[in-house]
Amino acid sequence: MKRTVLFLTSVLIILGLGTSLFAGGATETIYPDPEKNITVVVPHAAGGSTDLIFRALADEMKKASGVNFLVTNITGAGSATGANEVINSPADGYMFLGAGTHTTAATMQGLTSGYKDLDYVASLNWDPFIVAVRNDKPWKTFEELVKDAASRPGKISLGNAGMGGATGVASVGLNLAFSKSFNVTPFNGGADLIASVLGGHCDVGIFSQSEVVANSQSFRPLVILTDGHSSLASLASVPTLAEAGYPGITIPGGSFRSVMVKKGTSAEVKKWLADTVDKAFHSAAFEKFQKDNGLIPAFYKLDAFAEYDKTIIADYEVILKEAGLYAM
Amino acid sequence: MDAFIQGFHQIANLSTIIWMSIGSIVGIILGALPGLTATMGIALMMPIAFQLPTATGIGLLLAVYCGAVSGASIPAILIGIPGNPNAIATVEDGLLMTKKGKAGEALGGAVVASFIGGIGSLIVLVLFSPLVARLTLAFGPAEKTTLALVGLVIIASVSGKNILKGLLMGAFGMALAFLGTDPFSNQLRIPFAKLLATTPLARGMDLTSALIGLFGISQVFFELSKPFEKTAKVDPIKIDKIFPSMRKLRDMWKIILSSLGIGTLIGAIPGTGASIAVFMAYNSAKSITENSKGKLEPLGTGTLEGVFAPEVANNAVTGGALIPALALGIPGDAATAVLIGALMVKGVTPGFHLFATNMSLVYAIFITMLLANIFMALFQLLGVRLYPKVLSVPQQILLPLILILSFIGAYAVAGQATAVGIFNLGIALFMGLVGYFLKKDNYPIAPIVLGLILGGMFEENFRRAVKLAGGNYLVFFTKPICLLFIGFSILSIALPAIKQRRERRK
Repeated sequence: MKRTVLFLTSVLIILGLGTSLFAGGATETIYPDPEKNITVVVPHAAGGSTDLIFRALADEMKKASGVNFLVTNITGAGSATGANEVINSPADGYMFLGAGTHTTAATMQGLTSGYKDLDYVASLNWDPFIVAVRNDKPWKTFEELVKDAASRPGKISLGNAGMGGATGVASVGLNLAFSKSFNVTPFNGGADLIASVLGGHCDVGIFSQSEVVANSQSFRPLVILTDGHSSLASLASVPTLAEAGYPGITIPGGSFRSVMVKKGTSAEVKKWLADTVDKAFHSAAFEKFQKDNGLIPAFYKLDAFAEYDKTIIADYEVILKEAGLYAM
Repeated sequence: MDAFIQGFHQIANLSTIIWMSIGSIVGIILGALPGLTATMGIALMMPIAFQLPTATGIGLLLAVYCGAVSGASIPAILIGIPGNPNAIATVEDGLLMTKKGKAGEALGGAVVASFIGGIGSLIVLVLFSPLVARLTLAFGPAEKTTLALVGLVIIASVSGKNILKGLLMGAFGMALAFLGTDPFSNQLRIPFAKLLATTPLARGMDLTSALIGLFGISQVFFELSKPFEKTAKVDPIKIDKIFPSMRKLRDMWKIILSSLGIGTLIGAIPGTGASIAVFMAYNSAKSITENSKGKLEPLGTGTLEGVFAPEVANNAVTGGALIPALALGIPGDAATAVLIGALMVKGVTPGFHLFATNMSLVYAIFITMLLANIFMALFQLLGVRLYPKVLSVPQQILLPLILILSFIGAYAVAGQATAVGIFNLGIALFMGLVGYFLKKDNYPIAPIVLGLILGGMFEENFRRAVKLAGGNYLVFFTKPICLLFIGFSILSIALPAIKQRRERRK
């Protein structure tokens, strides 16, 4: 008994020490304190396309401001874990979220209070999605695929990298546009989807451009889901939905990235961050990075970004409700 | 040949050797600390790797990877707590060997086994990459479902004497695995869903934290519940033998080969991983020893065979996981996913493209993988005489230390997400209590682990396979690989039962 008590006290002491370590006091200084790091929370794994974009941006922000920006990857629950980390931290401007359509989707699915508890700083770009099949499949064009799907509804499988993510939303949106003739199937991440399409287990997949380029020998890209062509040489000839014969279909056909901070961050701090993102975004190095990776710029600051995001939210709401994923 | 020489030049410099040595040591230490995984080790070293030339940076990460996978066996053998999920199957026989006073032999054996596994899978990687990569593509959702089934059948063989208790624990593990969100609809699948929606429980039970609780914290409780012994009961650690004899290795050739094959293949199939491979290798070694006519000692009694099988397999996973990573750009496990990330940051896209355009880098990666294994073995062997000293630490110091390390490990799993870290502490503590009560009543722990690992894989792939087949539940009986696995599962349940009945009749 005595030992149990002793043991329990020691556990309590350990836990107590642990929590007090993390409850460091905050002092009033001028923002940004050059002694402090500004943490960039990327809610996806290191090396993924979201991660690469924010690493490139953080580098340029550092050059533009002299302040140290530190990228940390906090993954899980779609992107909700990273968003919650920012929301649960102080609104002092020393942490911002690598936000975007993943944040919109996670918020609507009730996994995080997401954009309701975040403030708009600046938007960055779109990474367009491409619908592709393995190159020995019979469909040479997107039109052939759609006609085949319509003739035998539910027989052709259309895979995405996970229902809650941007490819999931795009695949549901696409399926809605073509009177639900596809068998929309979620996979466990982009790598799982690529392997399944390459292995012939899934007929059609929705991919980001880099995934198609990496497997260009085996994939046949059919259509790009944005309004404009890809800026990548190897994908520039992939037609848009309109060119493929289906004008008037609008779906959020890519993943969008932006910078958001915790709600309640002061206006001056947000303005400083937005101006620094502005400088970094328009630096030669970041512009080249975007071009090399086929990213379509969509830069808006503060209130203009908030307005822009409203259109994305409206698009997403319809699709997530239809997919039965809406839980707000 | 030119490409090979160019590749060699990329890494034939002092900086590569130094960074890889550091990586190897860091990897072994991280691997040996409960909760710090190979994936995390690689992620930690990423910022350094970004600053180095590509081949050197990748070499550093590979050294961490190999070191961490192998280092996990040290605490598994000495105190029965796996450093990370790679060593869960090493616990059983490793700990028993230590209790028999053969800690040195177990640790030495684990190093030799890891080296064989690492080099063996590297040979497969170098010679058969494109072939194995294509083979792994044959594993779709249906095939993975039946592969998980094969894994679940192993529950019977790790259950000990009471199969019923084992099945119960397996089911409990699977139930834990289903916590979180539905993989298809993202609907919450947790109790008090409204209340807990934004807590980390929404992303399910964290495997590493649960393992720390089940193996580490529960063990501390268990030891505490026993009467105190004033002096440490472990006899003075004398290490007379480290290396297994050549004869022993020869006798074990079947175990080595099967573990190597299992590790490499499982490692190469995306969405699986070392934690599954080690149990399969252990299971296969078990049936090999049973049919060896007394040449090999039975597993589960503290034998070298029981340490060798999982340790060959988990290091074979390293080479295996690199196969789809390099050949297809698809990571074979979580650690290689981070490695691919490192390559992408360097502007190198893995896949067919890499082999076609940058063969010298591919060779450089192969050579660094070889070096990573050599460094791992070297540094491990240096420590083999040192590590067992842990056992002479008196319990009243060792137990609190284990407890603190367990909590630190569980907290650190989430990296910089502090909210998740605190939550994982709760999971570790909860599973520690669960594990304590189960151990007290002689319920086996390993089946819970199997259920936890395989539950999600089974469910997700089962549903995906049925959905892809348009709702046809019989899809599993239409594919050759599936039929093979189903047949294997049935046989491995039926054969021992038939054997038993025959023996009883005699």
